[in-house]
Amino acid sequence: MAATGVTGSSPAAGSPEGAPLAVELRGITKRFPGVVANRDIELRVRRGEVHAIVGENGAGKSTLMKTLYGMHRPDEGSILLDGREVHFRSPADAIAAGIGMVHQHFMLADNFTVLENIVLGSEPTKGGRLDLAEGRRRIRDISARYALDLDPDELVENLGVGDRQRVEIAKVLYRGATTLILDEPTAVLVPQEVDELFGNLAELKREGLTVIFISHKLDEVRKVADSITVIRRGTTVGEADPKTTTARQLAEMMVGSELPSPETRTSTVRDVVVLELRGVTVATPGGRPAVDDVDLTIREGEVLGIAGVEGNGQAELVDAIMGLRPLTAGTVLFGDQDISSWSTRDRREAGFGFIPEDRHRQGMLLEGTLWENRILGHQTRPPASKGWFIDRKASRSDTARIMKDYDVRAPGPDTLAVALSGGNQQKLIVGREMESGPRLLVAAHPTRGVDVGAQAAIWELLKDARAEGMAILLISADLDELIGLSDTLRVMLRGRLVATLDPGTCTPEQLGGHMTGAHGTAGAA
Amino acid sequence: MSVVRRLGPALLAPVLAVVVALVISSAVMAALAVNPFDVFGVMLDFGETPGQQITAMVVIVNRAIPLFLSGLAVAVAFRMGLFNIGVEGQYRLATIVAAAAGAAVTLPGPLHIGFIVLVAVVVAALWAGIVAVLKVTRGVSEVISSIMMNFIALGIASYLLTGPFRGSPEGASIIATADIPESGQMPGLNGIFDLFGLANPPRQLYGFLLIAIVVGVLIAVLLNRTRFGFDLKASGMSPSAASASGVNARAMVIKTMLLSGAVAGLIGLPDLLGNTHSYTTDFTAGLGFLGIAVALLGRNKPFGIALAALLFAFLDRSLVPLQIADYPSSVVTIVQGTIVLAVVVANEIARRVARRSAAGGTAAPSGGPTAGDGSTGAVPTPPPPGSTDQRQGAQL
Repeated sequence: MAATGVTGSSPAAGSPEGAPLAVELRGITKRFPGVVANRDIELRVRRGEVHAIVGENGAGKSTLMKTLYGMHRPDEGSILLDGREVHFRSPADAIAAGIGMVHQHFMLADNFTVLENIVLGSEPTKGGRLDLAEGRRRIRDISARYALDLDPDELVENLGVGDRQRVEIAKVLYRGATTLILDEPTAVLVPQEVDELFGNLAELKREGLTVIFISHKLDEVRKVADSITVIRRGTTVGEADPKTTTARQLAEMMVGSELPSPETRTSTVRDVVVLELRGVTVATPGGRPAVDDVDLTIREGEVLGIAGVEGNGQAELVDAIMGLRPLTAGTVLFGDQDISSWSTRDRREAGFGFIPEDRHRQGMLLEGTLWENRILGHQTRPPASKGWFIDRKASRSDTARIMKDYDVRAPGPDTLAVALSGGNQQKLIVGREMESGPRLLVAAHPTRGVDVGAQAAIWELLKDARAEGMAILLISADLDELIGLSDTLRVMLRGRLVATLDPGTCTPEQLGGHMTGAHGTAGAA
Repeated sequence: MSVVRRLGPALLAPVLAVVVALVISSAVMAALAVNPFDVFGVMLDFGETPGQQITAMVVIVNRAIPLFLSGLAVAVAFRMGLFNIGVEGQYRLATIVAAAAGAAVTLPGPLHIGFIVLVAVVVAALWAGIVAVLKVTRGVSEVISSIMMNFIALGIASYLLTGPFRGSPEGASIIATADIPESGQMPGLNGIFDLFGLANPPRQLYGFLLIAIVVGVLIAVLLNRTRFGFDLKASGMSPSAASASGVNARAMVIKTMLLSGAVAGLIGLPDLLGNTHSYTTDFTAGLGFLGIAVALLGRNKPFGIALAALLFAFLDRSLVPLQIADYPSSVVTIVQGTIVLAVVVANEIARRVARRSAAGGTAAPSGGPTAGDGSTGAVPTPPPPGSTDQRQGAQL
């Protein structure tokens, strides 16, 4: 851990034009068996700029950043820092070379203070003893220098998401990073926090630090970046100047063609009610209900979209519908049956399909094979089982069929799920849920982390299923997807359904306003 | 060839672990100024005559049977990420109750044996069930409660032996339950030696071997081929994904612990039915703890557990010859201990290697390590009802 020697206080301030690039990647290729994750990547990041890397989910941004952060080695190509070629064997090497990574998912210990979290792993010592005073001094220093506004002695569990992110940033600055990689930093933030983050980035830039900003949100990228590199299907397709490029042009660079549209045409909503929630309330241990008195109805052939900033009770609502979380109050009706007390398995067997929001947590057995994942959630029905026994042969052949029909790219049904990219995992999940022919599909972020082609395919599948009379509860953070697919749009804020919008007439801006409560919607307690 | 390729990676870790353990043990012996090769020579010496050699093998197999059952009991729970450390108490309590019950009744042959087996299975399953109920209702870690239950079980067993179940006369040097009548004793399998024209050893090969094999096959089928086995495996790999797939996590904990306990109930029976016919103060102890090591070494697979049980039985058998040859018998304990440590390390290394090669996109061979090897450290607990989400918190 040599990185502790140099503090973040001596970035090469104000490199003149023509100086070596802070980061340069030449011809980086990274192959995984069967898949080329990155191909001939060219990236040139000047010192002291905010450089955005944009691309669809699954385009290869994460693989590239892992390469730069030393988490794996490229098969071809070279990495140059300040004009010198480097070879990282581990993230420790990258940190020593002044590269810091702020992960999308924070890695903080809740029951530690800001100070303890930051120094963890590179503790300052004096005579062999922990020197927290020195750590506190340096953190105050960093906080003041970059306007991070951190109190070293605050407990992390008391901090909001934006504060936590600043702790993560302070963590890498403390280790002497001069180049910061921010992986989808705005995904977890509400708009105000995004603005604060951008303010912080400006401070970092002013102090001469380099920021690599990964995102797929084009408006944000155009607002904050000095230059943009676009990645598509694993390779860099070009650089763009945020001042002269429109969001539309960027999007087309990302996608490489006309943007697919999630739009549905004619309404296929029928009269038969499939799912009805009456006064559904789900409590959290903290006391405030996560889902508060929710009423909703989904009919055959209807897509009901739920919009909302993440963390406003959508996940709890999904869990309640799937029987994974007990109701504090209210009833769930499936058809005309009260299923409030049914188990998840009962619901699954009755015709609930489920595409979970976090596929690694709820959708997949990562260390299991693909055929085991194919039958997960369907293990009580053919082709997965015959009576009490698992029908391995039928499961394997059906898995092979789904892999073919849904374009899941993997060597075979006995491949471990962990070997697949997120998009392929998602296609397997969508395939297995669709193949069981559910009456109700609970789809939480069904196209998250999949490439554009798969996204369009999943949209098609949802549209077809809707036309055939499937009822679909769609939860998504992608407003275009919500507006395009839904027959009815409800907005969820602080556990309540606060607005009902017509997807035919509302715009993403209006929807965004309702999601943050800016429209002053009645009911937001 | 394909078998070697398929089993190769699975065998690599345990074999490596055993080799490492032998090297470390040799180093320890050398440090104690004992020639390790002489010691290994004694351990491998099964005697001069064919009769002696077969006797040695019978001793090993007889010892391996309860170790196999114990390993199986532990492995069933391991597979879903549950640590049943309470196998020791479960089998000791089951054995004494079964011994007393078996002595108290007289039934025609097979029925009598069946009755004893049933009592043992039920008692051990119920005892293990307490741990499961504590876990699902109160969230008590099964590691803690099953260890604690061991002490209680041993206490109850001593009380029963010296009190209500005492069958030996006052003042006898060894306190025992009353002998199980002949109809409840299980005949040996020595007939097979005559069948193959081998010397019939003075020791009886336990008839319980057949039951153990059947149980092993049943458990293997149950774990690998049934819906229950799939649910169990899924729960071990990812409790949250299993729940979302419709597995009732609480019911699964209870069922698995009952099954684990039921198998644990069989551990004492080979000795009880085939040899001692009563539970005594010096009835074989420690099998439950050895079972944890056996399950680890066997990677929670019934066939692997059988091999591991034979290895441990072989090591155990050498205790007496070593003492006779005036070598420290603790050598055996050292070897067993280092095997366990080496296995834990080797399993973890193998798991990481497999996972890395899989994450890199290579199709790792099926039958690669699964979670719930027991070697991965973390003690998974099913989420309590209404647990908060892992995502970064809700705003406002």
